[in-house]
Amino acid sequence: MGRRTAVILVIALALASCRTEEKPITSNLSVENKVAMRPVALFYESPAQLLVAEQRNVALPENPAAALPLVMRELLKGSANAGVPPLFPPDTTVRGAYLLPDGTAVVDLGGQTLTDGWPTGTHQELMAIHSVVQTVVSNFPDAKRVRVLLNGGTAETLGGHISLGRPFTPNAALVQR
Amino acid sequence: MKRLLLPGAAAFLGVASMVFAQVPNPAMLRTPSGDHPITVVHAAGQTYVSAGEVIAALGGTMSPESTGFRLTLNGVAGAFGPDSRYAVAGEDLIEMPAVPVIFDGRPYVPWQFFQGYLSRAAGLEASWDAAANTMIVRPLQQVAVSAQFSVTNLGDISKVVVTLASPVEYTLAKEGGAYVIRFRGPIQAPFGTQNIDDPNVTGAAFAGRELRIGLASPDVAGDAYRLENPFRIVLDLRRAATTSVPAPVMPQPGIRRRTEPAGIRTIVIDPGHGGKEVGAVGPTGVMEKDVALHVARKLAGALQSRLGARVILTREDDSIVSLDQRTALANQYRADLFLSVHMNAAVVKDARGSETYFLSLEASDELARRAAETENAAGGSGDGDLQLILWDLAHQEYLQESSRFAQAIQEEMNRATGVRNRGVKQAPFKVLLGATMPAALVEIGFITNPEEESKLQSSAFQDMMVEAIVRAVERYKTDYETRIGILQPARPEPPLTGGIRPTAAVEQKGRTGT
Repeated sequence: MGRRTAVILVIALALASCRTEEKPITSNLSVENKVAMRPVALFYESPAQLLVAEQRNVALPENPAAALPLVMRELLKGSANAGVPPLFPPDTTVRGAYLLPDGTAVVDLGGQTLTDGWPTGTHQELMAIHSVVQTVVSNFPDAKRVRVLLNGGTAETLGGHISLGRPFTPNAALVQR
Repeated sequence: MKRLLLPGAAAFLGVASMVFAQVPNPAMLRTPSGDHPITVVHAAGQTYVSAGEVIAALGGTMSPESTGFRLTLNGVAGAFGPDSRYAVAGEDLIEMPAVPVIFDGRPYVPWQFFQGYLSRAAGLEASWDAAANTMIVRPLQQVAVSAQFSVTNLGDISKVVVTLASPVEYTLAKEGGAYVIRFRGPIQAPFGTQNIDDPNVTGAAFAGRELRIGLASPDVAGDAYRLENPFRIVLDLRRAATTSVPAPVMPQPGIRRRTEPAGIRTIVIDPGHGGKEVGAVGPTGVMEKDVALHVARKLAGALQSRLGARVILTREDDSIVSLDQRTALANQYRADLFLSVHMNAAVVKDARGSETYFLSLEASDELARRAAETENAAGGSGDGDLQLILWDLAHQEYLQESSRFAQAIQEEMNRATGVRNRGVKQAPFKVLLGATMPAALVEIGFITNPEEESKLQSSAFQDMMVEAIVRAVERYKTDYETRIGILQPARPEPPLTGGIRPTAAVEQKGRTGT
């Protein structure tokens, strides 16, 4: 009986906090770093082999530069739906993520599999990269393109296919409408 | 114009612009004739020198070309471009530790470019003295390079491999009953003369800087190519009567030049991955690199026999070949078509079907648009900054043909196999990025799908796919050669669709790939 009450209490508190504190990430870089539950759209591959947004409330600072690495780490945690497989190798890490004044976001990835050479195919590599790109541009209005780094530097590719030599812009053809 | 182009240049240089937060620094070039001031940029542990200043100090010239910059010293041409660590010196490729960069509108190359170029163009060696902040150029002190020699018979082909401890410039010629390799540096020979028990090769003799490979008969001929790491000169020799391969034209590597259109004669097939880079792996452990090699070998054989084309594989075994090197090989052989063969992978296990890609250049489109705007606004006036975009526009030149080629492959695969048609797509593939010819990448099927993994291993399915791709190449070849006026149209052919308009680089929006 006590356990049931506790569960109800937790749900009620969660609902209350969502209702009162859900605020989108601002685009103003000079805002103070006030942390609140904010809605974010995280992109994963659907059974139709397209990227689809999964909405999640995440405790994030208001400042987008500070929020970006947290959103990237949230994306890498994978979908809340156990049936949606992760696009990146499970040991992938987000070493850092930065917003540059010209609209370029830099996402620095790491992890043993990516470092050693990821054994994957074109489709998965493309979807993984664009899950990052789509998540960045959907949540951070000032980000227009995304540069992907590996272990802090430039890398040719993540899995032997898609060039990381230039920034990526969003690709609507990969996103479910 | 400068003001308009700067944002584009920043996008083009990407991270390079961040790395190059420093300004160029003054440095010294020490040559046998005296010291010359030059500018250098230090970034990420690499020293880049101003290519124009160094070549001018040595009495050479530098001029912009559509594919990059061209140098000339003592009549020996050199060239480098933006997306490749490979540069050209005379007839050789030079591998640099980093790609060249533009800074303040001027190209800077890793100093090691001159190490390779000057040894070929002027018998000079270059080194960088960090403590003295000086690039030193002095006469080359030649050390004998040790050589090894082997012949392996593979059915009707004899594979002759000359392995050298370090790259040595050479020429190759067929003289009567022998192929003669003349090295431009001293060689430490493994033996003097050796008889060889082989159907095509009778023996080999090293004498001074010359290696003479005796042939069993004058009609033994074939292809020659170079491999890196270690440096190898490889000759695939066979009797002309047993093959429909065209006459023994030894490759003439070098800068690809636009000459009179000559049709589709040389095709480079690139089996994806290799060695420890296994590519995608199927549920039962089938590896993309193995299926790609099987299919590519079959494809090479079929294209040679059916089209009489000269076909070169970027790898013939389970070896690692870098992505840059694959494209560089195609450029070096002045290939007319480049096709990379891959198997696909997806986290969605029932993903299935084939798709064909050609290159997309997102950043380039932005630069191209800016170029068009600027040229319109300025009435086409020249400016050094235009070179930045010309580098990228050079890639665009082949996009329309690549699109047609990819379309032909996809259509024939759909027709032949009935596998799910995923269509023609664009993406920024590293292996297609430096190709100076129509180039495509085919994803034959999903190795991660259990049913397709099994099919991809089947010889019958591979043969069906190979047949479809051969028909596509045949169809593209006929279409292309008719359009450029080599062939007269015999009957009305349905035109190949999918070609983007020549101006698409400037106008196209909402493309299907990145």
